[in-house]
Amino acid sequence: MKKLLPFLLALLLLVMGTAMAQLQPEPMGKIETLPEKWPAHWVLAHDVSFSRVMDGRTIVLDLDEENPARAYKGMMNNSFAAFMAQATTRPEIYFASIYYSRGTRGERIDVLEIYDKQTLSPIGEVVLEVPRAILLPQRFTMQLTRDESLVLLYNFTPAMSVSVVDPVARELRGEVPTPGCAAVFPTGERGFSSVCADGTLYTVQLDADGQPASTSRSAQFFDAGVDPLIEKAAWHAGKAWFPTFMGQLQPVDFTGDQPVIGEAWSMIDEETTGWRPGGLAPAAADADGRVYMLAHPEGREGSHRDPGMEVWVFDPDQQQRVDRYELAMPGLGVSLTRDREAPLLVVLNVEMALDVYDARTGELRKTVANFGAETPLLVYGAE
Amino acid sequence: MKWLDRLIEGRTRDLAQRSSRRSFLARVGTVVAGSAATLPLLPVARAQDEGSVPESGDPHSCDYWRYCATDGFLCSCCGGSASSCPPGTEMSPITWIGTCLNPVDNTNYIISYNDCCGKSACGHCMCTRNEGDRPIYRPQLNNEYNWCLGTQHQTYNCSVARVIGKAFD
Repeated sequence: MKKLLPFLLALLLLVMGTAMAQLQPEPMGKIETLPEKWPAHWVLAHDVSFSRVMDGRTIVLDLDEENPARAYKGMMNNSFAAFMAQATTRPEIYFASIYYSRGTRGERIDVLEIYDKQTLSPIGEVVLEVPRAILLPQRFTMQLTRDESLVLLYNFTPAMSVSVVDPVARELRGEVPTPGCAAVFPTGERGFSSVCADGTLYTVQLDADGQPASTSRSAQFFDAGVDPLIEKAAWHAGKAWFPTFMGQLQPVDFTGDQPVIGEAWSMIDEETTGWRPGGLAPAAADADGRVYMLAHPEGREGSHRDPGMEVWVFDPDQQQRVDRYELAMPGLGVSLTRDREAPLLVVLNVEMALDVYDARTGELRKTVANFGAETPLLVYGAE
Repeated sequence: MKWLDRLIEGRTRDLAQRSSRRSFLARVGTVVAGSAATLPLLPVARAQDEGSVPESGDPHSCDYWRYCATDGFLCSCCGGSASSCPPGTEMSPITWIGTCLNPVDNTNYIISYNDCCGKSACGHCMCTRNEGDRPIYRPQLNNEYNWCLGTQHQTYNCSVARVIGKAFD
């Protein structure tokens, strides 16, 4: 038998070799691509990678996919709590990253990176001459103008200003000072407003070259010393709903060249005495203009970024709460998918997983966890 | 970079624990300060020299009195202290401030929350307490900003809590 063993092994190898020769090798170098228009239930989990902040990434997830492994569609890199914005008229996503020549040190460069939605690859960039703000990520630090011709970025050095970039020509257009005013809310076709410490909105309309054409300031409509407006607004189709520390909801219509400030009303009623809005991204709106708000009981000084125990759903036109959803786990941020038919409410929970609820009923559909993100502090529904 | 409210654990449970610990420490601190103030019952030496701040509590713990408006990693857990930066970092000269009640003398002090910069996040002793924090349009009272401003590099490592004076009540 021992003498036969080498012969048998050689025969086995010969048979295997023949089988392999008949097998067509799979192609080398195949790279997946994504559709130009992403399905409505895809989301972007923006992971600022809090403890390794130069190594941020934004992960594309399909929330309809039942197999968690297949829900992961791809990833884009960015750096230092990058700002993020999506175009709707071009298959492009923008990140404002900061890099150092030696990783965490060396020469700093701020750059607007343009990513292609089909390849998830950078296809262009614009170097920013003014250092952008570095802060806990939120949606209104970078926005496109309503006509999508310009990208607006909030700077804090600690002087406050807004950088204006043409993402098509890939050129920096300039810097607009916004003293005492923070964040950018697209206003009219090609302008923006910032929220000011004196309780006003400062509005700048830009010309086709991205230069200031006019500036204006609204009347005072809140008192930051009494009940501060939370700039992390719910937003839909040019309309914003701002929560306040004490639970007011302040509507502002940014569709015209001048913001129209609506009447604020209380989200708190007898059933919810003592509750307050809170979280990192406490508010979002769906395609029908319903407002979803994270809320926590026993509100107190300093609780304005505490996780919410519930999400409240409001019809802002009727100034009414239409539903209360008890959360499976406390939530730090809310976002909505863009569809009207069966929108999903995505809640970033305190374990940094995504709880996916039926936005119409509050029913928990699934939890997406362990998908390679450390701190996906903002979630964006695909535009 | 005083961001990030809660990473892993449920905030409510944590808050409940902290509240009780804090009030316990406040009571102990008051008793100690009101008596001989020499017994080393608590981790911090209670300096009672004229011009210094009477102390109680553990600066490695989020419930330490000076951290009332902090949001970030405590430098005392990162190679520094409540008022000094870890080796090889750089202290930001520009910062946000808070007003914290010292439980020993029941006096409000102005606290400067300077960031230590030039290395990536310490990752140890995350502490978030937003008392007195205000939105980003009032930056001097906001702890969401990275306050590594005026430093060579803006990478955020941890935050100190320097006493810079008594508050006028």
